[in-house]
Amino acid sequence: MKYIIDYLMLSCKKAALLIDKKAGIKLTMRENIQLSIHTSMCNACTIYIKQSLLIDKAMRNHLHAISQEIQTIIENKELKEQIISKL
Amino acid sequence: MKEVMNTTNVNAIIKCWVELYSDQLYTWAFCKTSNKETAEDLVQETFLAAVHSFQTFENKSEPKTWLFSIMKNKIADHYRKSFRMSENKTVSFNQLFNSNEDWIAEQRPQQWHSDNEEHLLDNSDFKRTLTHCLEKLPVNWKTFIVLKYLEEKDSKLICQELEITATNYWQILHRAKLQLRKCLELNWFKK
Repeated sequence: MKYIIDYLMLSCKKAALLIDKKAGIKLTMRENIQLSIHTSMCNACTIYIKQSLLIDKAMRNHLHAISQEIQTIIENKELKEQIISKL
Repeated sequence: MKEVMNTTNVNAIIKCWVELYSDQLYTWAFCKTSNKETAEDLVQETFLAAVHSFQTFENKSEPKTWLFSIMKNKIADHYRKSFRMSENKTVSFNQLFNSNEDWIAEQRPQQWHSDNEEHLLDNSDFKRTLTHCLEKLPVNWKTFIVLKYLEEKDSKLICQELEITATNYWQILHRAKLQLRKCLELNWFKK
């Protein structure tokens, strides 16, 4: 019995890592079971799931927005001259 | 008939390409590295490399395409290098978890009080906070974040590009997110 419990129990530290991993790849079956048992008992890690997803979304939005802003070509005359002088 | 190029000819062609493409290359490099000096170095290295390997350019591709392919390699090298320069101004696990691997009481995630999520993501003050928190990440971690969220690269590809193991990758991404989370909490959600 103790073996089964040890096999299925996760610490918060490990759970938090699995939560971030889950957003990127498929977890193994064991990991999935471990994580759902853990989050069914742990309020803090359940909140972490939501926050981790929010951070993903915010980062994606934000970085894409920034790169859109600099889609317009930036002129850099000095660089041009500098390169030509070195050729 | 293959034309024999002498150095003067090559230089004249490259010079012409500098005029035509250096701004586009620079913009792109700046977008990938968000650093003026780094972007300038990358463009310069690209053109110098183009001079050296001009023989391999066979007029089969567009000059622009060829230059961008050189630059892509330079940027990948840059990512690898900046990844190696590890810094330690980071949140460590010991600051978040105790010896039982539970959350330390004051670090336990608590509900963030934000009204509307869509609203929040459009809020320019929040965006400023995001920029601030991103800036505070070590350079090599930022590389991960850009590759993952901007380029939407698959974890396997990122591991290949940076020559790291999958375990290492998830650890770093996880720690970067823990740090972002903490920064956002301090500077936004609990302000």
